[in-house]
Amino acid sequence: MIDTWLLPLILFAPVFGAVALLFVSNQQRFLVQMIAAGSSFISFILSFYLLYAYDHTIGGYQFVQRFEWSENLGIAFSLGVDGIAVPLVLASSILLFTGTFISWHIKDRLKEFYISLLILAAATIGVYVSLDLFFLYFFYELSVLPMYLLLGMWGSHTKSYNEMKDTKKRDFVGFILNFTSNSKEYAAMKLVLFLSAGAVVALLGILLIYVGSGLNTFDIPTLAKHSEFSGTMATIIWLLIFFGFASIAPLWPLHSWSPVGHAAAPAATSMLHAGVLMKLGHFSIIRVGYEILPEATRDLMPIAAVLCVFSIIYGGWVAYSQNDTKYVIGYSSSSHMGYVFLGMAALTYVSLTGAVLYMFAHAMATGLLFALAGWVYDQTHTRDIPSLGGLSKKMPFATGCFVVAVAASFGLPGTVSFIGELMILLGSWNKYPVQTIIAVLAIVVTLAYLLRMLRGVFFWEPGKTIPHETELKWAHVQDTNGFVNRMPLLVMIACTIYFGIFPGQFIDVIGSSVEPLLAKIHGGTESGVLP
Amino acid sequence: MLLAVDAIPSRVSKKIIGHLSIVGLCATLVTLIWFYVNEKTGSLFNGMYVLDTMAIYFKIFVVVSTILVASMSIDSIERFPAFKGEYYFLVLMSALGAMLMASANDLVSIFVTLEFTTFGFYILVAYLREDSKSNEAGLKFFILGAFTAGILAFGISLIYGATGKLILTDIAQEIGEPSAALIAGFLLLFAALGFKIGAVPLHTWIPDVYHGAPTPVTAFLSVAPKGAALAILLRIFFVTLSGFSAEWVWLLVLVAIISMTYGNIVAIAQRNMKRLLAYSGIAQIGNVVIGLAAANKMGGESIMFYLWAYLFANLGAFAVVISVAHVINSEEIEDYNGLNRRSPFLAFAMLLFLLSLAGVPPLAGFIAKLYIFVAAMKAGLIALVIVGLINVVISMYYYLIVVKKMYINEPSDPSPVTISPIMTVGISVAIAGTLILGIYPKPFIAWTVDATQMFNHINFITMTQSLTLPFGG
Repeated sequence: MIDTWLLPLILFAPVFGAVALLFVSNQQRFLVQMIAAGSSFISFILSFYLLYAYDHTIGGYQFVQRFEWSENLGIAFSLGVDGIAVPLVLASSILLFTGTFISWHIKDRLKEFYISLLILAAATIGVYVSLDLFFLYFFYELSVLPMYLLLGMWGSHTKSYNEMKDTKKRDFVGFILNFTSNSKEYAAMKLVLFLSAGAVVALLGILLIYVGSGLNTFDIPTLAKHSEFSGTMATIIWLLIFFGFASIAPLWPLHSWSPVGHAAAPAATSMLHAGVLMKLGHFSIIRVGYEILPEATRDLMPIAAVLCVFSIIYGGWVAYSQNDTKYVIGYSSSSHMGYVFLGMAALTYVSLTGAVLYMFAHAMATGLLFALAGWVYDQTHTRDIPSLGGLSKKMPFATGCFVVAVAASFGLPGTVSFIGELMILLGSWNKYPVQTIIAVLAIVVTLAYLLRMLRGVFFWEPGKTIPHETELKWAHVQDTNGFVNRMPLLVMIACTIYFGIFPGQFIDVIGSSVEPLLAKIHGGTESGVLP
Repeated sequence: MLLAVDAIPSRVSKKIIGHLSIVGLCATLVTLIWFYVNEKTGSLFNGMYVLDTMAIYFKIFVVVSTILVASMSIDSIERFPAFKGEYYFLVLMSALGAMLMASANDLVSIFVTLEFTTFGFYILVAYLREDSKSNEAGLKFFILGAFTAGILAFGISLIYGATGKLILTDIAQEIGEPSAALIAGFLLLFAALGFKIGAVPLHTWIPDVYHGAPTPVTAFLSVAPKGAALAILLRIFFVTLSGFSAEWVWLLVLVAIISMTYGNIVAIAQRNMKRLLAYSGIAQIGNVVIGLAAANKMGGESIMFYLWAYLFANLGAFAVVISVAHVINSEEIEDYNGLNRRSPFLAFAMLLFLLSLAGVPPLAGFIAKLYIFVAAMKAGLIALVIVGLINVVISMYYYLIVVKKMYINEPSDPSPVTISPIMTVGISVAIAGTLILGIYPKPFIAWTVDATQMFNHINFITMTQSLTLPFGG
């Protein structure tokens, strides 16, 4: 019984929460918080159940639910997960659940905030569980708008590019598009326009698949099985799909919306943005590009292998020269997404499994980093690393969590990121040795900017001209306290470490779907015909 | 088979008339649905006037839009200086005209019904006689409208001269090799109808008239006559001219591209809500023309579905404009600052309507746009779809600017904006329509498919041969 309704429940619990919130007044703060927490808790618990209920010995799409939506257009509301979707669904619901608590203390229009957050999370989960191209796009597009409101209404202004005299600190690709403004409204609008532009490019690809296949259906399994695309058309569609979805991933040079968006967003939004929204891109490329156009994927994925190097180096380099904590984390996310692309491009069992695992790991690590950066910002009202410092005495608990987050982010053994990163690098070595070496070296850069931030925010104290200067400066600063503030951090840390030590279930689940996918992609080269 | 147009109310009092007309319209709606369910069809005056599934579809469309307009008018009428009772009469006469347009099946009845509809609007647009903007709009509309009537009559006479027939289906058989006069005739006919729907290059009246007319009239003008004119366009292009689709597709592709792009780009610069909606309406019509250009049955279905999405979103948006204008006496976008704090309901409603117009899921506009794009893709018009998609992104910008003002900016005057119960009902219906069409469109799609049965047997000579997608395998 529960298995039948598992996916609809995970998907619609946040939606129902949002609908219920519409009828609650903002005055009843506690009720608002409880509805948001309750509905996200349902998704959270059921996603864990999903991970262990998914039968990796069988593989394929499981928990499939199908409701005809429009026979005329060939659309069905079809839900189902494979091993690649399971960890991402889990990541979404963990981040939603923890994000609900992270934003517990928002004062302005809390109800509207939670509605947007729940819709955003439901939309991302919707993409992961859709087995219908139409609904995949539907949820993808649905995720953009809540982001606009979250950034615009509850965001904070980003630091002006123009104020930065040092040109090295400017993100020049982003700067070209950043004309004069640097406000949260600008960040929100830029995000929406970038993502919408990417989405319509992908939509064109989807429509070409729909019309070109002649099957009159948006059903992904059917299209994957029966559609035949080859030659120029397959290339064109693949490129549309790839670059359309890569803009959200965000692959260099389509990334410039992302760090700005991170910096402007409130903590919980950054968490979902970096943690799961960006993975929509990778996931959709796998779901649409890999499944439906395996031949083109094999031929064209080297594009990603080239661009991912730029992502890795460029993201790391810019992150190192940023002084804004959220910019550092934002660019580090861009850089880390390059690793995922490397794993995807290599198209080996180990690297692709590692890439999916790394997506989950990155969601946890970045979620932690953003949650803590948000906490620091709430307490000190600044994100400027030079004006911070010495916070470790005032907030030991947060400092401890931040250390774990940094470790998780660069992949210390014992965290799940380590396993993901290692698998990506091992798997890619044979195919792309140059890129792999660069990626390995870039880990050092990652370590450098993360430790620089850790030191700058928590440990470093400027020259003590006045005794107890730091204590006076941070007199009103509080550590994370109480269940509400600490629990989400502990949940993310627990997931990072638990799955770092016991990744078995994850790897089995992911691998069960990666294997047939790769067989399909490589099948063509060996036998000369498509399976 | 006679038509159920029985809602011409007696001139009793002022407010009651409004309610009476809504009741009358509801009765008409029920009758029409009864007609549809029982498949009552037929024709009158030797096929001049037909009642087929498509006609019923458009009649229901007109009636629903009139009901919504009447419900949002009741408050406004109270504020009119004079002629309160006549307003409903004129609205209902125009609605009657638009319903007759949906059934018009020959050139003369097209002319008569079109003018019938427009006469009501001539008066309605200039209704606020103390207001110079309203007068200006009325005059502009009248001069251009009269000019269009001349063009229409000229076009009709050319076609009649060339074929000797008036009924659309008969003309289709008579055409053979088209002569220059016939082509000119149809071009003039298209021009006149293009004026009604406000497609570029015949859009120039739209912004000024929308801006000047009383807002309920603007709302009505932006939906009902456009729908009815599209019914005629569908009949002309898909029935009479179906054999020549290869020729007229280019014309429509051009009109669609220019309308969308022009409407969207100019809308960005607007500072007045009604003008913004006017330009967005021009862009929306561009989208509709994509469906017309698709020249297949699916194109017809998608247009008819799109109209519903457009009806709810557009009327809803105008209803919000009316409600806001009642309290703050302004239609400037600047004055929508912080609407979310002043009236969460109105801001939320406006958010949904604008996003539906922009085509964001899970709202009606998203499915409607997708439907049209799929139809155009099936006809092989990839370039047109690309332009349409680019325009979706452009339109996101100016709709979101309004959203930004409502949600992000702080109000200069934080006093709450209150609305009357009847307005709340009207807006709620529009919200419900927008959401239901977006989330569960299945029955509506089935309905459009059914209503366009008449296009099934028509053999389109489309350009799919020349434009076949280069798919290998």
